[in-house]
This record gives sequence, C-alpha cells and structure tokens, in this order.
Amino acid sequence: MQSLKSEFPIFETARKEGRPLIFLDNASTTQKPQCVINAVTGFYAGYYANVGRGLYWPATAASFNYDQAREKVRAFIGASSKKEVIFTSGTTDAVNKVVNSFLLPQLEKGDEVLVSEMEHHSNFVPWQQACQSKGAKLKVIPLDAGLNLDLSKFAAMLTDKVKILAITAISNTLGVKNDLKSIINLAHQHNIKVFVDAAQLPLSEKINVQNMDCDFLAFSGHKVFGPTGIGILYGKQALLEKMSPLAYGGGMVQQVSIDKTMMADLPAKHEAGTPNIAGTIGLAAAIDFINSVGVEEIGRHGAELRKYAVKRLSEIEGLTLFAKDAKSTAILSFTMEGIHPHDIAAFLAEKGIAVRAGHHCTYPLMQKLDIAGTVRVSFNIYNSEEEVDLLKNTLVEIRSFFL
Amino acid sequence: MNDRLKALYKTQILAHAKNPFNEGVLEDYTHKLQAYNPVCGDQFDLYLKFEGDVIQNTSFRGYGCAISKASTSVLIKQLLGKSKSEAKVLVELFLKLINPESSESPESLTSDEEFLAFASAREFPERLTCANLAWEKLKEVL
Repeated sequence: MQSLKSEFPIFETARKEGRPLIFLDNASTTQKPQCVINAVTGFYAGYYANVGRGLYWPATAASFNYDQAREKVRAFIGASSKKEVIFTSGTTDAVNKVVNSFLLPQLEKGDEVLVSEMEHHSNFVPWQQACQSKGAKLKVIPLDAGLNLDLSKFAAMLTDKVKILAITAISNTLGVKNDLKSIINLAHQHNIKVFVDAAQLPLSEKINVQNMDCDFLAFSGHKVFGPTGIGILYGKQALLEKMSPLAYGGGMVQQVSIDKTMMADLPAKHEAGTPNIAGTIGLAAAIDFINSVGVEEIGRHGAELRKYAVKRLSEIEGLTLFAKDAKSTAILSFTMEGIHPHDIAAFLAEKGIAVRAGHHCTYPLMQKLDIAGTVRVSFNIYNSEEEVDLLKNTLVEIRSFFL
Repeated sequence: MNDRLKALYKTQILAHAKNPFNEGVLEDYTHKLQAYNPVCGDQFDLYLKFEGDVIQNTSFRGYGCAISKASTSVLIKQLLGKSKSEAKVLVELFLKLINPESSESPESLTSDEEFLAFASAREFPERLTCANLAWEKLKEVL
C-alpha cells in the first residue's frame, strides 16, 4: 500500500514546517491521485466542450467521456442499467432530491419517516424538514449499548405508516457498519422504500445495489479520490421513471411548447442544466484507480489500521474509544478526559497530523452519547502503522501537557 | 511538542481553562447571553448583574475548548465592577489584541498578562473564533 502513496502528489508537495502531511481525515474527504488530477486537467486542456448536442469535436469527445463515466459508475455499484445512475453534486444533493421528488409528493399528515440516531445531518435534516412541512412524523431508530443499530426496536417501528427509511451504511462518526441487507429486507416486508447514505461505503466494500436491494443509494465523488461537486444517486428504474424531475431546465426535455413540456427519458430527465462534466470525468478516473487497487484491498487496509489504532490508543490513560469493536471500517472516534477535542486536534495539527474534532455533523448522536464532540481519525490507503504510532505518541505528549 | 502552540496555551490560558473564574449560574442576573459557535459546538451562558450602569456580578457556564473557555473566564473576571463604557473599551482592546490584522503590537496595547496570553491567537487565525466567542457576544449588550 505504501507504494501507492507516491501516486498522491500532495504528500510530496505539502509540508508543515518541514513535516510531511499525515492525513487522517479521510471520512471527510480523500486526497487525489495524479490520474484523477490528470483526467480533470486533461479534459479542460484537451477536449473541453459541453455535452449533449454538440456535433463537432471536442463536444463529441466530451459527450463520449461523460457517457463512459456513467457506465463506470453503473458497473462500480452493480446497477443493471445506466438509466439508474443520476449525477448529482454530492450525497447531500441526492438526499434532497429524493426528499423533494420522491417523498414530498406522497407524504401526508400522520405518515412516518424513519432515520437512525447515527445519521449525518445530511441524511437527517432534509427528512426532518420534509416531515415538519407536512405534519408527518420523523422517527429515529435508537442505538444499543454497543452503539449498533437496535434491530429489535427497529423491527417494532416498521408500520404501514412509514413512507421511507433513510439509513447510513457506515456511521461517519463511529465507524459502525450497518447490516443493510437484513435491514432492507425487513423494511421491504412492510413495503417501505429504503434510501442508503453510502458516503462512507465505497472504499469499505464492493457495492452491489441489486444484491443489497436498496431503492435509492447515494455517495460523493470527493470521498472516493474524485473531485468535489460530483456525486451519484442510484434509484431503481421504476421509481426514477415514476418520479417527477429532480429539477427542471435545459437538457432534460424532449419537446417544449408554450402549453406543455415532454420530459426526456432517464437519466437525462433528472439532470437539468449543464452537468459537472469535469467532475464526472474525474470520478471515472477515480473509479479506474480504485478498481486497479481493488476495493477489497482498500477496505482491508483501512480496517487493519483501525484495529491497530484501537490497540495503540487503548494504551493511553484517560482515552475513551467509541465503538471500538466495530468491524471492517476505517473510522475511529475517541475522547480524552479533561481535554477538549479541538485542543487535541490543534496540537496534532502542529505535528502535521490532520484529524477532525467536533460533532462531525451528527448532533443527534452527540446528544445520545452526551458529549460535545470527539476526535475522529479515518484511514485510507496512504496511511500506515508508523503514522498511527506517531499519533499515539503525540496524544501522550498532549495529555502530559494538559494534565 | 511545538513551542509556538505551547505559547498560545501557556500558563494563563491553561490556568483559566482548568480553574475558571466564577463558573456557575448567577441566580439574580439581569442579563443572560448565550455565546454559541455552531461550527464547533462551543457554548457558554454568560450571566451579568447590572446595578445601574455598573456590572456588579458575573458568572458563566458551558463547554468549549481550552481557548474559548479561558477567554470566557478572563472576560467574566475582567468585567467585574466595570461600567458599561469601561466594559466597551475593554472588549475593543481584547478584540484588537487577538486580531491578526491589527497593526499595533500586543505589548503596545496592554501590559495585562491575562490579556497578553491571548495575543498568540494572532498566529492561529483558525482559532480566532475560539478566543473571541464570548467577547463578540457581549458586544450586543454594551
């Protein structure tokens, strides 16, 4: 894995007072390999034009690559058709679109929407606001003592009032992975549609939407080595066809007259306006990169580093690890007695160690844990056990400075 | 451990963060303010008891990083016995002291050690909102 680090130019160029960057904030965003940077600049420098209707080169080349990107995403998530892949600006955008186009038109007073206590604000606030606007009820699936989803309480919440279940694949704060297959299966037994927030999933395990049987799924490009501002929404074809367009504008119509408009077929119907073409091309390059390394390889490396970090950080007195037994993810949260997470992060930053401190956009979870925040480390292919050792040693120094 | 950051957290700040001045709820307050930073979640309730124009008593309660807690503690301590106009001068001085764009050197602004400890915050613009959280909020009643 260490040989792969050289593919990421930031580690060659970025220095904090001579110290290399130790990037442990991968749940927030990932660094970019040269191939992704090349793909984006290559498009702008080599064949830039709008997609869709241009009859000239380079418009045809841009359109071809844009279309190829969709095909690569399709294969990456195991969807049966390219029509089921809608480009968005990211996971948040995808959630909002499903809320507006799928949920709101059918949501009525007294209906229910299910989310979990571990959701990121992005997969919480849009559903909450939709419910409030219609007098519907947002119900929150609690976590058990081990900070896993309480499946027996979840089962009891499944009624015919529930219009959709929105659930994360992996908690961005705790690194807990949900058993989506059984969760979705249970929900479907009650005819409840399921939206999966897969923001943290693509580098953990191979996604197969058909096997998972989710109705919707979304992730962001920037968390999988791709550019910011690009993401995808997967939806089952029948649902996407039934839904009104996620937005209206150019590029999503067949015919327009003064009186009416005939919408285009999938996926164009849901993609109004000039898309983020460079973003899709960068995302396609990122998927090629992931495939060349292997999702399983990436997932295993991250999970092994988490396990190693659990072992090393457990040696520090006064340090509390959350969900320390969580399996097969690369995210780990902790607190240190008497030292605020932001103070810890500031001191780590001085050593060139980038971590995230705070609530991680999961206020409901912080309330459940009754804490103001955590320090979160999250690993990727360019991280190593040596970096975990440095993290540990620096934490010990911080503790002795503060106490 | 880095000396630059250590300087920021030096004795004054750590001392105030560990043993804050007048921490707790003031029952007979005349003004209660909530200083809240939604980005990081730091939150302090500030209690002030005005008698006429003079701040007779103060306290605070809440949570935040060492810098935000210490700066709130120093504020609560420094406000005691001050008139509104004196408090205003004090707040402006402190904000100038920590402002990275300020042209005046910290030492030319004050010789108060509690204040000077925060001058290092100038080097850490990302921590400015920690150092000025309670002070900016207080401006609303002055």
